[in-house]
Order: sequence, then C-alpha cells, then structure tokens
Amino acid sequence: MGTLDPILEVRDVSKTFDRVVRALDNVSIMVRRNEIVSVVGENGAGKSTLMKILVGVYQPDSGEMYQMGRKVPFPRDPLDALSRGISIVYQERGVIPHLKVYQFLFLGLEEKFTRLGRLQLGKIIGLAKSVFEELGLKCDLASSMYELPPSTQKMVEIARAILSVRLMVGMDGEAEIIPVIILDEPTAPLSIEERDELFNYLLNLKKSNSFIFVSHIIPEVMKFSDRIYVLRDGRVVAHHDLSSEKVTEDQIFREIVGRESYYDLWARYVYSAGAVEGRRVVLSVRNLTKKGYFENISFDLHEGECIGLFGPAGCGKSEIAKALYGEIAADAGEILVDSRKVKLKSEPYARVKLGIGYFSGETGKELFLFWPIRKNVSIVNFDKVTKRPLKIISVISFNAERSLAEKIMKKLRIRAPNVETECYSLSGGNKQKVSVGKWLEKSPKILVLEDPTIGIDVGAREEIYEVLLEMKKNGIAMILVSDDPKEYAILCDKIISIRGGVIQATYTNEEFRRLMGL
Amino acid sequence: MGFIALVIALRMANPYFLTSWDSVITLVYGMSWFLIAACGLTLVILMGSFDFSVPSVLKLSAMIFAVLYPSMGFSSIIVAIVVGLIFGFINGILLARFNIPSFMATLATSMVAEGLAQVISGGYTRMITDPAFRAVSTTMILGLPSIFYWAIVVWVICIFMTFMTPFGRMIYAVGSNIVGARLAGVNVKMVRTLVFMICSLLASIAGILYASQIQGAHMQVGVLDMIPLFASVVVGGTALTGGVGGVHRTLLGVLIIRWLDSGLSMLAIDLNVRMIIFGAIAITMAILTIDRRRIRIMK
Repeated sequence: MGTLDPILEVRDVSKTFDRVVRALDNVSIMVRRNEIVSVVGENGAGKSTLMKILVGVYQPDSGEMYQMGRKVPFPRDPLDALSRGISIVYQERGVIPHLKVYQFLFLGLEEKFTRLGRLQLGKIIGLAKSVFEELGLKCDLASSMYELPPSTQKMVEIARAILSVRLMVGMDGEAEIIPVIILDEPTAPLSIEERDELFNYLLNLKKSNSFIFVSHIIPEVMKFSDRIYVLRDGRVVAHHDLSSEKVTEDQIFREIVGRESYYDLWARYVYSAGAVEGRRVVLSVRNLTKKGYFENISFDLHEGECIGLFGPAGCGKSEIAKALYGEIAADAGEILVDSRKVKLKSEPYARVKLGIGYFSGETGKELFLFWPIRKNVSIVNFDKVTKRPLKIISVISFNAERSLAEKIMKKLRIRAPNVETECYSLSGGNKQKVSVGKWLEKSPKILVLEDPTIGIDVGAREEIYEVLLEMKKNGIAMILVSDDPKEYAILCDKIISIRGGVIQATYTNEEFRRLMGL
Repeated sequence: MGFIALVIALRMANPYFLTSWDSVITLVYGMSWFLIAACGLTLVILMGSFDFSVPSVLKLSAMIFAVLYPSMGFSSIIVAIVVGLIFGFINGILLARFNIPSFMATLATSMVAEGLAQVISGGYTRMITDPAFRAVSTTMILGLPSIFYWAIVVWVICIFMTFMTPFGRMIYAVGSNIVGARLAGVNVKMVRTLVFMICSLLASIAGILYASQIQGAHMQVGVLDMIPLFASVVVGGTALTGGVGGVHRTLLGVLIIRWLDSGLSMLAIDLNVRMIIFGAIAITMAILTIDRRRIRIMK
C-alpha cells in the first residue's frame, strides 16, 4: 500500500432521523495515514452524525466503509470501532476528575492487566510512563486529573484514545492498523495558548496516527490540517487539499455558510445608518472583566442601536453576552442600565425585570416544546395576560393569552394550525419565530441575541431578520453575538471586534463591510 | 375506566364494600387528609423534584398540635404550621441555593422531623378528649365530615393556583424546561423554595386535621404513607420528570389508592402485602408516566 492510499474511507453515507430529518446525504470522506483531516461546518451540518457513524454509535441508512482498501461493515458499536482502530475524544464529559492520571489512562482496559484478579499496578505505571515518553507528554502520573490544566487533560484523553486502540487491536499482530483518532471540537474549553500547545502535541503524534478533527473554528483548522472537508446541510460541499491548493479563510467561511440565495438576501438589506447621537443611552458597560474570559470591556448602547460583538469562537464574546443577561457573573467593572448601576452577580430574572431579554437560535434551549404557542408566548408577558380581580391575586385570562398569541402569530406569519399547537410539531424556523415573538410584545429595552438564526433555512432567516429590524426601529437596543459576519452586516450599527477577551477595534457598519469584503 | 373496574372488582370480592353510607364516611375520613398531603407532593413532583419529608412533617405537625393543645388551645395550630413552613423553606433552600438533589435533602430533613416528633412527644401517644379539638375535622355538614370540605377547598385552591395564576405557570415551566424558564425571566430559586414551602404547609394542614380526626397523635402517624402518597400522585398521571400532569388528576389517584387500600384491608389482606402492592403500582405508574425522551441522565 502506498502512503497516499486511504486507511479509512466511507462512501455515500446517508442517514435520516425520524424519517424526516436528513442528517447526512451521500457523504464520502477518507483519511490517509499520518494526516490531520478536518471536518468543518455549522451546527447541524451533520458533522457529529458522521463521526458517530464512524465510531458505531449510529448505523447509517446506506453507504459503504473501507479500511486499508478492504470493504468492511460499519462498526456495530464503539467497542467494535475501537478494535478496528477508530477512537473518539468527545468535546466534553471525557475526564473523570478524581481519578489519577494512570487510572484514567487505563480506565476500561484494566482486565488486560489483571492477574489472579489483581491489578498489576507496576505494569500499568511502567507502560504509562513509556507511552507518555513516546508521545512527549509531560505530567505526573500520580496526580489527579482535575489538577491538570485543561490542555493537558485533553492531551491525556488523546493519549488514552491512542493507547486503547493499540491495546484493543494488538499492535504486534501482522495486521498493521494505524489508529484514527476523532477529535470533536477539542479546543472548545481551551485558552489561546493552550490551543497551540495542543496542536503542537498533535503534530508530533501525527507521525504514528491519523486524526479527524471536527471544528468550526476556521483559523486553527487552516493552520493544522492537511485536508479539509466542508459539510453543509448533510452534504460535503467542498474538499481542499492544503498541500496542493491555496485556500483563504474567507473562502472556507463562505462554503460553510453557503447558500447562494442567502447572498441575495443579505444584499437586500441596505443598511441605513441611524444617527445615535442624541439618543438615550440604555446600557453602559464600563471595564467589565471576568478573569480568563474577557477584560476591560467598555461600550455604550443607545436606544434602537444594535452592537455586534465580533470575533472567533472562544474570544469571549458569548461570555460577555452571558454576563449581560445574567447567566454568568463578571468579576469587576460596571453595568449600567438607564444610568443606574446594576449588580454584577445576578440571575436572568432580575435582568429581565430591568428590561434585558435574551433570544438564541438554539430553540430547544428556551422554548417549552410540549407547551402550546400560547403559553410559550405568555411566559414573559404575564403583565399583559393577567387580571387582578382581587388586589393581591393575579389571574391569567386565557382569552387575553390567546389573542396575544394570535397577534404575534399573524405578525410573524407563524405557520401553525392555531395558538394551541404544541411547539415541538413546528418547523425550526417557526419555533424560532415563537421564541423571538414572545419578546415582540414585551418590548424589552435591550435584547441579547446569541446566534439568532442558527440552523434555519433562508426564508425563515429573512423573516427573523425582518422581525429583529422592526424591533430595532421601535427602539429596542440589541447586542448580537454570532458566527456569521453577514448577520452583523445586516443587523448592527456598530461592531466591536474582540480577540482574546479584549476589545481590539470598533467599526461602523460601513467599515465592517469594507473590511469583510461584503 | 380502570377506576370503575377496580370498584366493581372490590365490590365483588367483598359484598360489604361501599354498601352503606357509613362505609362512605369511613372512606372520606381515609381520603381527605391524604388528599391534602398529596396535593402538596403533586406540586413538588410537577416541578421535577421530590419531597420525602411529607409524612414526617405531617406527623410532626400533628404531634405539635396535640402536645401544645392542652396549654395553648388553637394557637398551637399556628405553631404547627410555622414549623411546617420552616421545614419547607429548608427543603427549598437546600435545593435552590445549595443545589442538593431534593431526594437527598428531603430524606435528611424528614429524619430531623421524625426526631423532633419523638422528642416533643417523648414517644408517647397523645390523646386529646376535648370535643372542640375533634370538631375541626369531624363536624358533620350535609352528611359528610368537615375534613372532607377542608380537603376539597385545598384541592380547588391548588387547581386554581396551578392553572390560573402566573405562579402556577412558572411551576410547570420549571418542571418542563428549567433552562428555558430561567432565560424567560422566571425566578427559579424562588419558585422552587415557595413550592417546597407550600408542600410542607399542606403536609402540616393534613397533619393538624388528621390529629383532630383521630383525637390526638402518635408516632405511627404517616409512617407507611410515603409510598401510597407517591403512588396516588403518579396514578393520577403526574410524571416524575416534571411538567406533565396536575393537581386535578391527583384526586383520582387518591381515590383509587385509598379505595384499593380499604378494599384490600376489608379482604383482610395483610398490611405488608398491601405495601408490596402499592410499591408495585407506584413503580408501574412511574414507568408509564415518565417521558423517557427527555431524560438523559437519571440520578
């Protein structure tokens, strides 16, 4: 076998969930020996489904799998995949904090080192030492996992994946198998320096292993992979060999977000600069700091203004948003709503009372899926749907609830039989509309938007933008956090660029567009 | 349907079952205090939590009422209720503020309540012969004892609260999707604490009325009631996962469980065997009502 022949390949893999949702549509990818292959795409593009098929968590509806050029069945379960040399390191929940490093390293593999029911500790520690030496991993085997820095934890996890493949396959057999280790967003919890450390480690390990690297952080993908597959809506839309072609970050980005019609869409929103001078400042942030996430963040948000916090994933932008709506507490600095100082440590309910609402595209998160539309709308609008027949007791009026929900349904063109329709039966776009619609009547002073249009189709996107722009026109101020520059171009008056937790620059909408080539 | 079948089955097995008005009154006595406590437990389960301390708080309140009545009269009711509220507050705070799973927290506080009941009573049965003490629960109105009306009033108030008030909606919200409830501005900690307080308050009221009904209190009050209470909530159709079901359904659950209980005891089936049956019913109903799609990890 030549070095360019794939060691692992899948062809025309399709997978459908619940007979409706097509997660993968004829996807083919392959991995060569000693390379890092990246699979990139938006949330919901099918990356995780594909990886779960490779390690036997899901069975595909159709497709073929080849290993070392031979056709093989798809793995039945993760153990089967492991014995064929495929292992996965999940994004989270991998580490068991109170185990010692060597205990964690051999977790689930103990029976290979047992004699007469006794664990051969000496043998384990000896093997662990030699493996760590080989992989160039420096850490104390006897310390507990939680004592290690996050990057080292991740490295130990990767070492464990490699080790278990070796032990399961039996490396001394005649069948030469190169471990294929799948890394699912391994850098998500890491700081920027830690990421580099991890990648240097991976480059070293590449000599004896192959990696499939799943991520949506484009710069690091560009920096460290040999080849890139771009997945969108369950299909491979692009494949780049970085050794032979030159690709720009922007190009990959466009391929990830894609959708020709989407470009048409955004061009229709000709931004009209609103003069913010003279308008009331509704939110002031002064030197807001949370150690390890963001530092000295200051800005003023005016009535009807939208400020975008822009930067790569992990730059601290979503943490700033979280600190604003009360999900996490900043350590220092000031947040002023209507020039009144508010407590940094707070719960979302207190912020809602101050007039800070929150909307994210992750519908499962904030929607009550088994509730009818009516109840989902009124959960933030009790003041509009209750009466007080006796001074102290407020009673929900179902009629008021229904007419409020109907009003919102009509305004946002939510496609559902009626307001009693339970939300789980709605399409993704309509779910999102219910989610944002509840704030429409509430009219908060400030709305924090986190990926407001993630995972919905073009038409629904357009409708969500229209709603948001109308709310903006009505004087609601907004903070946007997103992964999509076009979204900033459509919605924001001002874009604050954030890198490594600090403000790098502030752009007007025009400057931002010019910079992004939009 | 099952309910009617059950009544017919028990009727056939025992010809004396539900034949006279007296047996109806016996059932009402068996059911009323039980319904009050079950309403409180339903609210907690709707929220996705659990309260093991209901029977112990019930016993403690009954005991406080009976022990203090000779010296304090009816103001001892206030003491009993305040103690109940304190237990509810502690249960709520342990969950909401200190993030201790409600199973564990309430199991621990139930031990505290048991101990307190033992201490204040000295372990003795307290009998109260004062007719005024008895009258609270046993005054006959339109052929039924007053405890029946107390229970119905509590039940109706709970239904009103859960369906017609924002607070009730918030209970369902916390039980259905706690993250969503938080983001929509529901004060989750407050809702949790208040619901545990209401649950303990209702347990206290049930204890006070029960003490009045049986003319005193003893250490055996509520001892074997946890499983039947839990069974009647889930038999009614409130899911352990939270957010599904309601207090209105608990009446049916209580009817079925208490009816079954009295029917079985009329058939001279041993108490221990009855406990086996209730345990099996509770588990079966929990399996049937739980929405497994929504549980990732059960602890």
